[in-house]
Amino acid sequence: MKLSFQLAYRNLIGAGLRTWLNVGILTFTFLVIIFYNGLLDGWNQQAKRDAINWEFGYGQFHHKFYEPYNPFTLQDAHGKFNVKETKGLTPLLIRQASIYPNGRMLSITLKGLPKNQRALKIPIGNLGKHLGAIPVAIGKRMANAANLSIGDEITLRWRDKNGTFDATNVVVATIFNTTISTVDQGQIWMTLEDLWRITGLKNEATILIADTQFKDTEFEDWKYISQDKLLKNINDIIEVERASARIVYFMLLAIALLAIFDTQVLSVFRRQKEIGTYIALGMTRTQVTGLFTIEGSMYSLFSMLVGAIIGVPLFWYLADKGISFGSVTADMGIGLGDRIYPSFSPELLISSALVVIISATIVSFVPAHKIANMNPVTALKGKLQ
Amino acid sequence: MEKIISLSHVTKKFEVGDGYFTALNDVSLSFNAGEFAGFVGPSGSGKTTLLNIIGSLDSPTEGEAMVMGRDIAKLSHKDSAKLRNLHIGFIFQVFNLLPVYTVFENVEFALLLQDVPKEERKKAVMEALEWVGLESMANKRPDKLSGGEGQRVAIARAMVKRPKILLADEPTANLDSANAHAILKTMKTLNKELGTTFLFSTHDEKVMAYLDRTVSLKDGKVVSDVANKDQQVQA
Ligand SMILES: Nc1ncnc2c1ncn2[C@@H]1O[C@H](COP(=O)(O)OP(=O)(O)OP(=O)(O)O)[C@@H](O)[C@H]1O
Ligand SMILES: [Mg+2]
Repeated sequence: MKLSFQLAYRNLIGAGLRTWLNVGILTFTFLVIIFYNGLLDGWNQQAKRDAINWEFGYGQFHHKFYEPYNPFTLQDAHGKFNVKETKGLTPLLIRQASIYPNGRMLSITLKGLPKNQRALKIPIGNLGKHLGAIPVAIGKRMANAANLSIGDEITLRWRDKNGTFDATNVVVATIFNTTISTVDQGQIWMTLEDLWRITGLKNEATILIADTQFKDTEFEDWKYISQDKLLKNINDIIEVERASARIVYFMLLAIALLAIFDTQVLSVFRRQKEIGTYIALGMTRTQVTGLFTIEGSMYSLFSMLVGAIIGVPLFWYLADKGISFGSVTADMGIGLGDRIYPSFSPELLISSALVVIISATIVSFVPAHKIANMNPVTALKGKLQ
Repeated sequence: MEKIISLSHVTKKFEVGDGYFTALNDVSLSFNAGEFAGFVGPSGSGKTTLLNIIGSLDSPTEGEAMVMGRDIAKLSHKDSAKLRNLHIGFIFQVFNLLPVYTVFENVEFALLLQDVPKEERKKAVMEALEWVGLESMANKRPDKLSGGEGQRVAIARAMVKRPKILLADEPTANLDSANAHAILKTMKTLNKELGTTFLFSTHDEKVMAYLDRTVSLKDGKVVSDVANKDQQVQA
């Protein structure tokens, strides 16, 4: 075994350019696999973290009438909650309303969180007292869409608990920046206390946000949605991205493996005399087959080495500085930050290495296996067709 | 005397097209341990085929080939590899050195296959290189050697494991006269000192002059088998 490794190593080094070409392609593939997955892992983690911090918390109780994707449920989706029972839960009340920036009418979702809340990153605590107008917080996307900046006053119109329309002025007190568009686009945030007051829905909420994970509990009018369930959407989108990335790197891997396969097939034919010599010297066919297999799989070991030399500093840098996606910060349905910080976990590195090593070994074994059926006399003559 | 090789009614047929080509036809021969013998005959007479069978690289179609008490036709791949590894050395017309190994490592190879410990290996390799006068070339690569030197490395590689049998197929065909005589002398000495049985296949008059026994083949048949009491050349 050690002998085979040594001999395989020498043969590869001796083969020069061809070896480095194969190693080059394989290294590139290896790095692309790691990069893609690292990027997606990083994105996934970041998107989840942001979703937890900005929207989901550690799970939520939804009022029984509330359906997240059906705005028509909002009118009735609210209920009183028991302050004692809901310790550790942060109430969030959601109402529909309209605003009239520059004379246009815009339907929006009005959300209220307690002023002293810590469940979400929405800067409710920054909303001070204003004379005349109710201070509100909006996200950057909303600010852009409605052409609003800090200090702007707009008219807000809503229905109170009896369905009667009412209107007042609100002032944009703070504009926050988040990757989570679902707490930003078409939304206006105010303190829960203000929202209770203007709607008359005191002590009512649509959602109760948890600050720790709950068991699947349910109480009366509230149904529990676990954090995992809330995050499922993100997982699904990342899985789709992963699948398309997989196509890219399987193609790359196929090219690299084809190059190795080709080299191996050629080796078996070109190096018949050498094979004959090994057999004459007393190597068994299994040993010779093993030698050629090791030689082929050694391309993958070399590419790990080269990959480490290039990849460690490169990936280190990327994981530290992040990758800017600048203008393509399109709305992907999940948070896509200005910068994504790829995450290269040990599991990722090990599994990528295994994929490369195992596949290279398999494609090397197939041609090497031909040796087992080779007649040593013909091999020594070098005349096998 | 111990019969190290005995062939009885060995016939070798090769498939050619629809029929057969008979390369060896009812060959019966035996060799004692320590002989220095050779097969001569025109091209195509079956010399190489015979050496290959004795070296268990090939097996007879009919008849029985016994080498060191083993029936060549009945050996498994593994056992025939073991027989070659432990007891049989080969020397070829083209030297077949491993280009990526140094001279030392080429010679060492057979011992590595036998799992000989490192210190012992080193001693044996250097000794084998001394036999052929190439101690100083140990660290060279085969492509830096002259033809004569290359064949001497091949002899060292075949002899380092002190095999019972050494099979040399046209070992001098690619060498000039001086080099041919040099390696033949070396082999004759090794034959005397180590008691190795040498079997040659050759067209070369120079080789024939060294042989103690000459077996002539023609069309796969033994046509003469003579002991050369009156050798022209002495080692
Ligand atoms: N694998 C094979 N298939 C068919 N015919 C073969 C095969 N090997 C050898 N022969 C034939 O058997 C005959 C004997 O071959 P062999 O190589 O033993 O001759 P040789 O005496 O060594 O000749 P030379 O002096 O040219 O080396 C030749 O006619 C050769 O063509
Ligand atoms: Mg021949």
